[in-house]
Amino acid sequence: MLLSVDNLTKIFTVGLLRKKEIVAVRDVSFQVDSGKFVSLVGESGSGKTTTAKMILKLIQPTSGKIFFEGKDVTMLNKYQDLKEYWSKVHGIFQDPYASFNPLQKVDRVLYQVFGLIKDQNVDRDKTVREALKEVGLNPEEVLGKYPHELSGGQRQRIMVARCYLIKPKLIVADEPVSMIDASTREGVIQLLSNLRDEYKTSVIFITHDLGLAYYVSDEMLIMYKGQVVERGSPDEVMDHPSSEYTKRLKADIPLLYRKWEGF
Amino acid sequence: MVPKMIKELFTIKKLDLSLAIFIGALLVSLIGSMRYSDPLKMVGFPEQPPSREFPLGTDSWGRDLLALLLNGIKNSVYIGATAAAIAWIIGVAIGVISGLRDGLTDEVLMLITNIVLVLPSILIMMLIAAYLKERNTFFVSLVIGLTSWPWVARAVRSQVMSLKEREFIQMSKMAGLNETKIILEDILPNMASYLFMTFVLLMSGAMIAEAGLSMIGLGLTRGVSLGIILYWAQTLDSVRRGIWWWFIPPGLCLVLLTTSLLLLSTALDEYFNPRLKGG
Amino acid sequence: MILLSAENVRAYYFLPQGVVKAVDGINLSLEKGITLGLAGESGCGKSTLVNTLLGSIKPPLRLVEGKILLDGKEISKMNISKLKKDVWGVEVSLVPQSALNALMPTKKVIDFIKDALVQHKKFSDSEILSLAKKRFEELNLDVKALYMFPHELSGGMRQRVVIAISTLLNPKLLIVDEPTSALDVSSQKQVLRTLLDLKKSGIIQSMIFVTHDIAVLRQIADKIGIMYAGKLVELSSTDNILYNPKHPYTVGLINAIVTPEPEVKRRKIMSIPGQPPNLLNPPSGCRFHTRCKFAMDICLHKEPPLLEVEGDTLVACHLFSSSKGG
Repeated sequence: MLLSVDNLTKIFTVGLLRKKEIVAVRDVSFQVDSGKFVSLVGESGSGKTTTAKMILKLIQPTSGKIFFEGKDVTMLNKYQDLKEYWSKVHGIFQDPYASFNPLQKVDRVLYQVFGLIKDQNVDRDKTVREALKEVGLNPEEVLGKYPHELSGGQRQRIMVARCYLIKPKLIVADEPVSMIDASTREGVIQLLSNLRDEYKTSVIFITHDLGLAYYVSDEMLIMYKGQVVERGSPDEVMDHPSSEYTKRLKADIPLLYRKWEGF
Repeated sequence: MVPKMIKELFTIKKLDLSLAIFIGALLVSLIGSMRYSDPLKMVGFPEQPPSREFPLGTDSWGRDLLALLLNGIKNSVYIGATAAAIAWIIGVAIGVISGLRDGLTDEVLMLITNIVLVLPSILIMMLIAAYLKERNTFFVSLVIGLTSWPWVARAVRSQVMSLKEREFIQMSKMAGLNETKIILEDILPNMASYLFMTFVLLMSGAMIAEAGLSMIGLGLTRGVSLGIILYWAQTLDSVRRGIWWWFIPPGLCLVLLTTSLLLLSTALDEYFNPRLKGG
Repeated sequence: MILLSAENVRAYYFLPQGVVKAVDGINLSLEKGITLGLAGESGCGKSTLVNTLLGSIKPPLRLVEGKILLDGKEISKMNISKLKKDVWGVEVSLVPQSALNALMPTKKVIDFIKDALVQHKKFSDSEILSLAKKRFEELNLDVKALYMFPHELSGGMRQRVVIAISTLLNPKLLIVDEPTSALDVSSQKQVLRTLLDLKKSGIIQSMIFVTHDIAVLRQIADKIGIMYAGKLVELSSTDNILYNPKHPYTVGLINAIVTPEPEVKRRKIMSIPGQPPNLLNPPSGCRFHTRCKFAMDICLHKEPPLLEVEGDTLVACHLFSSSKGG
């Protein structure tokens, strides 16, 4: 068992004098094994991104625990420990433009991770070029360019190339393809699958797209208002949903091979 | 990257104009103050209107007003720039640290900022003036600089707070970059517009503050600045007595300089904003 | 009966860095009573086409060639003030992208309606109120919403309100540009239902629905037009597009759709290599040839014309144009 999340909760307090509490994530627990795709499915406000950020140690949980490779990493805050953690757990975010510093060349997001890699004697240029080729990009077309000169699909592939450099055990991908054209999405998803097949990388795949989660996951968790309301294999969740929310989601998704009643 | 930026910058007319006015005035004053190196010397009859010998006439002590003006511009700009630099460094530093840290550090820094914000700087200067009989240009800059940074700190802080949520900053964090590197490479460059504009605005504000201080007698004790000229002009009742060549030129120059700076800041804003959107 | 027709429309953006050929030779006709879906991905020109169809052409966009006829009237020749008074809102209405965020936050819905209608006709306040109430009831919208501020309504509700307002004067044609992309699936379904009700009750005659989401079009459109890089590459009935796509791009697009259906899991989703071209400098010949696995020599040099094949399907592809005695 690679990652275990126990009763994770995050409460945000807003306001100066009259403090209001927002419970973004409430009592979320799940586990991820090696080489598995686990989806967190939910709409905006479901708490899925906050959960992702807690697992990536970008936000501190209010309560609950996170275990990675058997160790309690909930309270990790020393610089060296965090670096070690991020060499094994890394993130890919939704907006392929916002993931880059607009004033710097795209090479930077790749070269900056060499600080995380153990082997310091590796030929950096060669490794970067190989990683780019792995994700189907031509290094000549991509290196030296600025983010606005590349397409969304290319930028997201560079993010996956970054993961090829790090080879983390777990990737937390927050809506990795929702801002890319539908016709190029599968390409990026295939890359994540390749990482799983070649290096047993696990992926926590966060999305609002039930169809995508159904297609790609080994296990699906449906989140609503900060809580996990349904979990199971994709077939279990779609064929025998138990929660009202899942049933409603299912009924409201536009389908290709079936028409809605009354439409 | 930088040369391209400068090339594009100059396509904005406002920028050309404002920069031309400001630098033009500055150059004239620098050359002029070298030529008229002792503006406080008595060189002619008092209160003479402009003539060929003295293009801006003389004041009540028979001093050449053109010489005074040119030296005054130089010093006013110096005070403006120095005060701006002091306030800028303090404001940006506090704003960045406060923006990045939550909790106690942020609260303490903001408390300090708020205290300095509400302190009446005039009062402080009067107190200091009472103690220090000699006030040179650096000192005046210091006093203005130390009291005008709070709005910068707040503006920078809110920019930093919104920037730090952007994904690329989190990517740098996960790559293991330390905080200093993130500040220098990710945060500050992406706030360049703010940083430029705050400096320009601080400078124009400082020049006006100097004039204000000098006119109530708390400015320079040695040397001449636009404010000091106005101070003498006012003390010797030049307005009522119709000695227009005394108070109009320095006033006009002050307005010209500060307006060109304000124009510059709007030109910078115009330049940076479409870039941020279009990029 | 043709309601809207676009003949050889070319609309380009004249920018400092060059000319972006956003809409490049589009021929389109829309019959009365039909909902046409316009599908395409980033940079295909669908939003530009929509503005062009309305006559909403402002620099740096320019109509370089072609004409647009709405119910026989030549829209492309009218000036903006005439369009604002007599055409927009009256004959044709557009609900642009992010319209739900365009409502003035300091005005109640009913006040917004008053402002909008005053441009066309002199209505009295009570006329406006009764018109609005009646329409809201027809569309199953809570009449109380009329007295609320935009932020008090949910995203889906706001979008439905905007749609109701833009059709108050019963325009013949309604154009909606990505009306549901920012909404959750349940709100989306409600908005689609409202659009369908508009048509069923005869308030509007025809609709153009612009989106990248083909599964949504499947539920609501009679015909679908596929756009790529400023060109219309295929136009046919919804069933034909979904189950018998002809143009290689259409095939790729359909195969990339992911819905939670067993059919999709079985056939596996696919992607099209590469990315859409830069319209400053589009590829020669057929604009899709750089990504097409069926690309032939002729595709690099000659642009395929939009031709009719197999009853009612229009395709712009050399794979098909040769079969019709080229």
